[in-house]
Amino acid sequence: MLSILRRLLGNGPSGNIARKRMQFVLMHDRVDITPDMMEAVKNDIIKVLSRYMEIDNRSIKVNLEQGKDFMALISNVQVKRVYRHASSI
Amino acid sequence: MAGKTIVVTSGKGGVGKTTTVANLGTTLAKKKYSVVMIDTDIGLRNLDVVMGLENRIVYNLVDIIEGKCRKEQAMIRDRKIPNLFMIPAAQTREKNSITPEQMKELCSTLAADFDYVLIDCPAGIEQGFKNAIAGAETALVVTTPEVSAIRDADRVIGLLEAAMLKHISLIINRLNAKMVKRGDMMSTEDIISLLSVPLLGVVPESDEVVVSTNRGVPLVHDRSSKAGAAFRRMAARLNGEENLPLDGDGSQGFLGRVKRLIWD
Repeated sequence: MLSILRRLLGNGPSGNIARKRMQFVLMHDRVDITPDMMEAVKNDIIKVLSRYMEIDNRSIKVNLEQGKDFMALISNVQVKRVYRHASSI
Repeated sequence: MAGKTIVVTSGKGGVGKTTTVANLGTTLAKKKYSVVMIDTDIGLRNLDVVMGLENRIVYNLVDIIEGKCRKEQAMIRDRKIPNLFMIPAAQTREKNSITPEQMKELCSTLAADFDYVLIDCPAGIEQGFKNAIAGAETALVVTTPEVSAIRDADRVIGLLEAAMLKHISLIINRLNAKMVKRGDMMSTEDIISLLSVPLLGVVPESDEVVVSTNRGVPLVHDRSSKAGAAFRRMAARLNGEENLPLDGDGSQGFLGRVKRLIWD
């Protein structure tokens, strides 16, 4: 009965939802990083990368992710082109 | 002789700290170790009723610390096991009636006389928590497979690490194997990977727990109880008997059941 209800509502098993929510919550509880700080980190990454390449400022994503034994900062940036003089800086 | 000082804590209330202390204490004492359990939940004591010793209280923890009695006078001997004792919390005082330094001193004098000093910690992370962990070398963090309990456990683990406790391990209480199988409850593996501390054991959800607290007789006295068996295995691991099978989600199959038969 529950599973039929779930299929109708289109949700996954609630255990999985709980796990994913906790991963997010615990990570932020532990590091105590505010959204403002994440924004500042993002802007600094843009600043540094821009010295070497042209990037899409709007496409950049910066996220903290919890691995098995470590935490990772994962950033995805779309590179438009690398400056030719980059190696000489 | 220096015994082990172990605090049982959780952050969140109602997850099973007192039940854990009562059952681990009883099991270890049944194995002929001398055990003293301390209820540090001043103002909200409960270990006495769970152990069925509420009628025998004369002196309490605060009386020992304030020098109103000798520590032997406040220690209540168990009804069944002569080498098991309990020090009740004061019911009409406040958490700040004692200090972490006083607890530390008491725990170390008790550890000189006993093999195990088990400390029942109050819920929360304030003064009572600080008092309870002050004298402990090992911490057992109790959680249930619910988001609120897990989040609080994570906070507490952070505080225990900051307080430099030597060993921290996890007890998962009230796991419902059916719900895990159905995908509606976080599994043991999920919880371990979220909290990243070693697991001491898993206690299955069971009506027997309520029945045993109603009677004031710890579950481990009942040989047929599954939850009691889980506590007995935990006590064995705590005692350094390493080669025990880990409690899974009750889905170990035939081999698991055979192993359980042998170990219980």
